[in-house]
Formats: sequence, structure tokens, C-alpha cells
Amino acid sequence: MKKIIVENLKYKYPLTDELALKGISFDVEKGEFIGIVGKNLSGKSTLCQALVGLVPHFYKGGYGGKVIVDGLEVSKSEISELSQKVGIVFQNPFTQVTSCKLTVYEEIAFGLENMGISREEMRKRIDDSLKLLDIYKFKDRNPFDLSGGQMQRMAIASIIAMRPEIIVLDEPTSQLDPKGSEEVFKAIQNLSKKGMTVIMVEHKMEKIAKYSDRVMILNDGEIVDFDIPQKIFSRGDLDKYCVSAPAFTKICKGLGIKSKATGLYPITIDEAYDLVVNYNE
Amino acid sequence: MKVLSLYQERDTIIHKVDPISKILYIIISIAIPIIMPYKTIGLVCMGVSIVLLLIAKVFKKVIPLVSFSMIILLSIIIIQGLFNDSNKTAAFRIGSIVFYKEGLLFALEICIRVINILCAFAILVLTTKPSDLIESLVRRGLSPKIGYVLSSVLQIIPQMSSTMATITDAQRSRGMETEGKLKVRIKAFVPLIGPVVMNSLINTRERAMALEVRAFNSKANKTYLNEEQNNSYNKAIKLILVILFIFVVAWRILI
Amino acid sequence: MKKSNMWSFKLSTASIVLIPAAVGINYIGKLFAGVLKLPLWLDAIGTMLASMLGGPIVGAIVGATNNIIYGLTMDPISFIYALTSIAIGLVVGIMAYKGWIKSIGRAIVVGLVVALVSAIVSTPINIVFWGGQTGNIWGDAAFASLIANHFPVWMASFLDEILVDVPDKIATVLIAYGVFKALPKKLTILYSNDNELEQL
Repeated sequence: MKKIIVENLKYKYPLTDELALKGISFDVEKGEFIGIVGKNLSGKSTLCQALVGLVPHFYKGGYGGKVIVDGLEVSKSEISELSQKVGIVFQNPFTQVTSCKLTVYEEIAFGLENMGISREEMRKRIDDSLKLLDIYKFKDRNPFDLSGGQMQRMAIASIIAMRPEIIVLDEPTSQLDPKGSEEVFKAIQNLSKKGMTVIMVEHKMEKIAKYSDRVMILNDGEIVDFDIPQKIFSRGDLDKYCVSAPAFTKICKGLGIKSKATGLYPITIDEAYDLVVNYNE
Repeated sequence: MKVLSLYQERDTIIHKVDPISKILYIIISIAIPIIMPYKTIGLVCMGVSIVLLLIAKVFKKVIPLVSFSMIILLSIIIIQGLFNDSNKTAAFRIGSIVFYKEGLLFALEICIRVINILCAFAILVLTTKPSDLIESLVRRGLSPKIGYVLSSVLQIIPQMSSTMATITDAQRSRGMETEGKLKVRIKAFVPLIGPVVMNSLINTRERAMALEVRAFNSKANKTYLNEEQNNSYNKAIKLILVILFIFVVAWRILI
Repeated sequence: MKKSNMWSFKLSTASIVLIPAAVGINYIGKLFAGVLKLPLWLDAIGTMLASMLGGPIVGAIVGATNNIIYGLTMDPISFIYALTSIAIGLVVGIMAYKGWIKSIGRAIVVGLVVALVSAIVSTPINIVFWGGQTGNIWGDAAFASLIANHFPVWMASFLDEILVDVPDKIATVLIAYGVFKALPKKLTILYSNDNELEQL
């Protein structure tokens, strides 16, 4: 079964006349890692929020089309129902802290208490999440006494404790320092390896290229392209969409070095290295 | 990070009593002196509270609590002693200023009432963690959303205080004057408070979204990570307090 | 601000999150007023802002929460004055709903009404607990001179309270009004209950 089905999704925020999403359609299979790129205000955040029900239920506004997530139709389901199927992590680690709990352990329990999970099951899930995100050692600390990267990992842990099979990450490392960003990407990779379906909006193209099964370019509320990263980053018109190819891809593009097998430019540093070495031989 | 609380960690029997019983105690120790207006009842209740505070080993910590009100109590003693309408009998003089017995007694009544209330509250406030109190209330029916609100304030206030120090320094280093004439100080208020206020309001949107996706509006029956502390004597204490209250009311009505 | 029903108890999540933020703003107003040694309390800016944004119920809850938390964690006497804070939240919320925060002039009127209501609610509490005093030097000095001249206690107490409340509440309303005006519309609509979902 397809994990996510989006059919002609249209959305308009209240008080505006312009559509933020102009008729988006795509599918996502279970376990896929999807990267979403595009310039600011292209609709990336709106799309992310449409997958979890914040669009439209939080804002209201104007909504058209269908989004079906793991069998649930978003427009007909409550956000709290959807939170068991799909989770979302935002940019700002600070505003995702509930501020009503005094330890990291209790913080992660918050969503589970709301859902009515039994105490035994709660403890199991929290321990699992803490270990998966490598923050078990912080479990008794106050949530506000963590670094940005640690806080963001706590946010991810809080979401996955609710056991959704899909996780959406909207620029999860934009407000983090390089160390924090690495910690978060490592965690996301772990999740993906465990079979989680991941949708990630990011500007760090090297990461998008490295982790994604498919990459979507959004522009002005519409899908420009949705394909494997090699094809996306080999495009010649990436500038138009304010998308920058990974550094090594750019170098190969400049030198005209393509992979002989696919006719496309390399997207990982290892691939690029091999091709450049071969080129020079 | 500092959490907003007057809680004193001790291992006494009073600490183990559940918060609801303590709330009942407060209500009763305020109500009884009102229902039975014998002058000494107030002192008796205050005495009981002080004994409980001593058992809880927190008596010394009551002093700062009471000192909040000390200044105003002092001013009440002075003003009532000097100017109370029913002043007739002189009590003592300081130079040419006369303090009257009626006013002083009136002021004394007020002092006893206030200190009584403070001591009763102190038992609750010094021996209970606010988070435990809030959770007890939510377990007994307080809306979990209100519980969320109360718990959040406990952390938001210390945070805002620490941001304040940073902002004041930042603005001062930009040349803002915070001392001097009244006009100068007034002008400083808005640039100091402005950024914090705007920031916290703008953040509410993201905070609300983050809560929503953590099933904040779920209709399921809420469960609790922590186990409820239930000691055998809690029921007994509540029963005793309620019986005492009914007894006092009956006494007043029948006698 | 058009709301389907200003007395609706159904609070949106955004309104709920607004409440602790507003209490924080109250606290910080009080703190800065202290640091700058201003002769005003300025401890209700958040309550008034919350009322302007979310209506009287939200404002009242901010007021109640404010005093309950102060009572639990700083000064138990605050508990009792929760009634006053609730009244402030209700008054500003009702007047805001009826369009009284459209201009500075109107805002000043709101300030006066709030001061009056606040004094009316606080005076009985002051009389029962403090024999009529308020704890403010200027107010209590006025109180002392009034009862020295045989004014009735309730009148002296009321005037004591009003003397302090009028400048304080007017200043508070103006500050809250200023902030309210500066907020983006995108934010203010989050708190209103009558957005409708449109089918496209």
C-alpha cells in the first residue's frame, strides 16, 4: 500500500487570495526517503503541514483535493488521530518544548499521556526513543538545559515515541550549529534504516543527495520535478528554482564529467571522486 | 534552570501528605476563625499551623514569606493605632503622638488573620512541589489543558527573567539609559519590554502547532507516567478535616 | 475583532498557549517596572493583551493563573487578588470585543473603566484583609489622612485604591494597545474562533 497519496492538493491560507499549493499530486511508498527542495515560500512548509493535518485544521483557510496518509484522509481526520500515523519536526528546537514538563523523560511522555497509553508501554517507548536518538544520558535533565542539537533530538524522540510510521522534517537543522546538525542527520538516517518513511525539507543539498531515494523540487506551489537525486541534480535549470546542486556535482558539471553508465552527474563525493580519478587517467 | 517554586525538600510526614488534604486544611483554617468569631480561635489555628510547620522542618522558611507582608502590617498597626475611627482610649505615647488601644487591637486582629492565612498556605507551598500539586488536581478532574497552562507558567517565568537580564545588558550597551530622571526611565520601559513581548507572542503559533501534533486535543482518556503517591493516612486526614469542619459549623448554628 | 461568541469556553490551542505567555509578560512588566523604579505596578500588560487577542474568557484565565501561580510560588496573599485580575481580564475582553480598542482615546477610556472595576473589586478585599490599605505608599498615605479626617473606611479605601489604579491601568492599557496594534494580522486571527474552512 502506498504510504502517502496526494491528489490535486490545493491550499489557500486565510486572508490571502493566492494559492500556496496549486494542485499537487504524488505518491510515496513505505520506507522511502523523500527530499523536498525549492526556494523560500515555494510551499514546502505548507506541504509538510498538509501531510499532518495542520493544513487545514490549524489555520482553516481554503482546501481542495485529497491527502491520504496511511489510510487516513487528512481533511476528514483530527490532528491527534493523524499524529499516530505521521509525525512532524519543525525548525526551531526551542518552541517544540512543551514547557510543562521538568525532565526530558517526562517531556517525551507528554504525547503518550495524551494518547492514553498504559504506563508500562509508555516506559518502553520512551526508553526506546531515548536510546535511538542517543539522548538516554539526558533523561533526567530539564529540557531547557539542553543544547540546540540535543533539544532537536528530544523533539524527534517525542514524536517517534508516538510510533508513527512516517516522519516529516521541515528544515530540522536550520537553527543548529554544525555539530548539532550532524547529530540530527545521524539520527534521521537511523530512523530511515529502521524502515521509517521520511520526508525531509532541507537546504543542505549534500545531505539531500546522500539520503534521498527521490527528490522533489517545489516552486510557486507546484511540483517542478520529482525523481531520483541523480536526475534532479543533473538538471541544467536548478538556478531557476534556487536549488543548488551538491558541491562535487557542481564541480563535475563544470568539468563535464558524467557517469558513463547513467549519463548523469554524480551526487555523492565517492562517486564524484571515482569519476574524476577515472577521467584523469 | 531554576524552577519557580518555594518547595523545600525534606523527608517529613507532612511532605508525604497529599496536596488535596493540604488545600482542605487551608480552607478550614481560614474558615474556622470566620465561623467562630472568638478572638482566640485565630491564634489557635495559627498555633496548629506553626506546629505543623515545625514538624515539616520548614518553619524558618516561613519568615521570608511573612516578610512580604511585614511592611504593610507594620503600616497598618501605625495607621490604625493613630487614626482608627473608634479610637478613644490611649495606649501609649511617643512624644506628642498618641497610639490608641482600639486601633491597635483592630490592627492586631488583622495581623493574626493574615499570619494565620500565611502559615496555612506555607504548609502547602513549602512542602509540595507545584508540579505534584497540579498533577493531583488534574487526576481529580481539573482540565488537563489548564494543568498544562499552570505547569508551563512555572518554567516560563524563570526563563523570561533570565532573558530580561540579557536584554537589559544589550540595550544598555546600545546606549539606553535606565537610570536618572523619571522621564528617562519611562522611555526605557518600552524598548526593554518590547522585544520580549513580541517574541513570546510570535512563538505561540509554533508552540500551538507543536502541541497539536503531540495529540494535545486527543479525546482519549489521559494516562499518567508517574504513579500516584497514595499513603494510607491520606484518606483519614481528609476525613478528620471534613468532620472537624462540619462540627464547627454545627456548633455555630446550634450554640 | 469579530467573534462568533465572546463567551465561548471552547479555547483553541493557540489561545491556550497564549495564556502562559501572557502571564510571563505580566511578570516581566512587573520586573522591569521594579528595575526602572517606576511608581506603577505594570503587572497586567499580559492579561490585557490576552483579552484583546482572545476575548474575556482567555483574559480572565490569564488573570486567575497569574495570581494562583504567584500565590503558590512567591506570595500567598496573591491568591486572594485573583478576583481583581479576573475582573481586569473580563473588562478588557468585553470592551475589546465591543470595539473599544480602536484608537488611543478609546483605549484611555478602557483604562479608566478597568481602573474603576479593579478598585471596586479590590476594595472589599483590602478592607477585609488590610483594614482598607493597599500597600502602596502614596495610596496608604492618602488613606491615613482620609480616615484621620473621619471619612468612612470604605470611601478612604476606595480612593486609596483608585489613586494607584488610574495611572497604572491607563498606562498598562496603552502599552498593551501599542503592542496589539503592532502584531501581524496573521497572528491575531489565530486566536479568533470563527475562521471557516473553505472548499476549493
